[in-house]
Amino acid sequence: MNQTIHNPRSDSQHSDNHQEDFILDGLASAEDAFNNNEFSLEADAVEVQLDHEPVQESLILNTEDPEQPEVSAQIDLAGMDKPVHIVSIHNGAEQAQAVPFQHAHTLLESLEAQDVPVHYQCREGYCGSCRTQLLEGEVHYTEEPMAWINDDEILPCCCIPKTAIRIKLP
Amino acid sequence: MSYTTFNQKTFDTLKQPMFFGETVNVARYDIQKHKIFENLIEKQLSFFWRPEEVDLANDRKDFIDLPEHEKHIFLSNLKYQTLLDSVQGRSPNVAFLPIVSLPELETWIETWSFSETIHSRSYTHIMRNVVPNPAEVFDDITRNDFITRRAVSVTKYYDELITKNSYYTQLGEGTHTINGKIVDINLRDLKRTLYLTMVSVNVLEAIRFYVSFACSFAFAERAKMEGNAKIIKLIARDEALHLTGTQHILQIMAAGKDDPEMGEIAASCKDEVREIFLDAAEQEKEWAGYLFKDGSMIGLNQTILAQYVEYITDQRIAAIGLPTIFDTKNNPLPWINSWLNSDNVQVAPQEAEISSYLVGAIDSAVDTEDFGDFDL
Repeated sequence: MNQTIHNPRSDSQHSDNHQEDFILDGLASAEDAFNNNEFSLEADAVEVQLDHEPVQESLILNTEDPEQPEVSAQIDLAGMDKPVHIVSIHNGAEQAQAVPFQHAHTLLESLEAQDVPVHYQCREGYCGSCRTQLLEGEVHYTEEPMAWINDDEILPCCCIPKTAIRIKLP
Repeated sequence: MSYTTFNQKTFDTLKQPMFFGETVNVARYDIQKHKIFENLIEKQLSFFWRPEEVDLANDRKDFIDLPEHEKHIFLSNLKYQTLLDSVQGRSPNVAFLPIVSLPELETWIETWSFSETIHSRSYTHIMRNVVPNPAEVFDDITRNDFITRRAVSVTKYYDELITKNSYYTQLGEGTHTINGKIVDINLRDLKRTLYLTMVSVNVLEAIRFYVSFACSFAFAERAKMEGNAKIIKLIARDEALHLTGTQHILQIMAAGKDDPEMGEIAASCKDEVREIFLDAAEQEKEWAGYLFKDGSMIGLNQTILAQYVEYITDQRIAAIGLPTIFDTKNNPLPWINSWLNSDNVQVAPQEAEISSYLVGAIDSAVDTEDFGDFDL
């Protein structure tokens, strides 16, 4: 017996439009991501309107797993734009290296993902291993740092840039 | 000034310096001069673990198969760790509690020392599981010249502070003749000794311990003695917090806001502090020579360990605001980071994901938004 697997979203004009509204981080161009401030973690519930009563043979499948919604690597903070800032790294006399900050929970994760080696241990702000000098710019702490930091220092493991920043790695 | 277990005087706790003010009376935490110590206590309590939770059955097999020179490296390293935690399990209590003046700092010192006793108990757990006769190993700690020599350098500042403070408590400031010996006791000198003791504690926790961690993890990097490495990971997590505690104490002292005299002392001691760091680095390098005397192991040898000593010394001295000594740039043991990070260590199944697992922690904040997708 052939059972047709019927996906209401794929052939419904209504839900197609909806899918375009929902831009996954990383897939959207940076410009789109900026313009589209109405970013939501989960798609709104879609009312599927069928012309006729559902037939017994069609199996309606969810397009997403409610147990595991798409996780966004980009964090949303109320009142703040999604951070895509330039992080310039200055190491001694070497030429400054510029890496963008985006799609990461912390500055440390963003640097690691772009192959910038940073010393770390606890990754939650209490050991101070990642202590880094902030030359210019501002950061926002997502967690209160417990390790001792001087006025010109930051802990990349628990902060994200608020502006473009210049840092000096030890 | 004699010590009393409950100071009857009424005074403003917030006006007391960290040390050598009024002795603490009410253990209250509703008002705090330095909130950081309360945060450290909370964090340390959330870290609570027991060595018995880590299974060491495979380590016994691994140990039997190790070549002789690697057994020497493993056991000597463990002996050294046992010595360090024996000192740390009691010394902060004995040396600092009689002179502390803030309730939150007093409790931090107690919490800190207590966690060191867990470390000491875990060394016994490791020995029992790994070697046929643990007594032989423990007994050697007081007999082995290489170990006892190191015991002197880790304890001399503590001992000096304890001795001087006992004279100060009994006799007060002045020149005293004690058992025919003339001893000059003054508070400024005592504070100086306290500052240097704190520096040597920071060196113990932030340099000496980390060198020993590197050896423990070097075995695990080759998939040997992995249970031991799991325990050391938990110890490293605690030590990271302790060294943050001593760094805070040192920085608060140096800033002088808490006790202006302490600020002057810190400024005048810079050369000696540098000397303490340098001496410790030299001693650790010498120790590396002893560890690898019969041969090195895959992934770690005397030269690399010595480079790591220099690297970690620079990191730690920079953290307390002094110029680096060796001018190192890169970590010669980059793999150590992932071993030092404790988030992937599994203690109990429910703790697998988050290391500071809080018992009974629930999110009780309910917002109207939480009902947003509810349809009736």
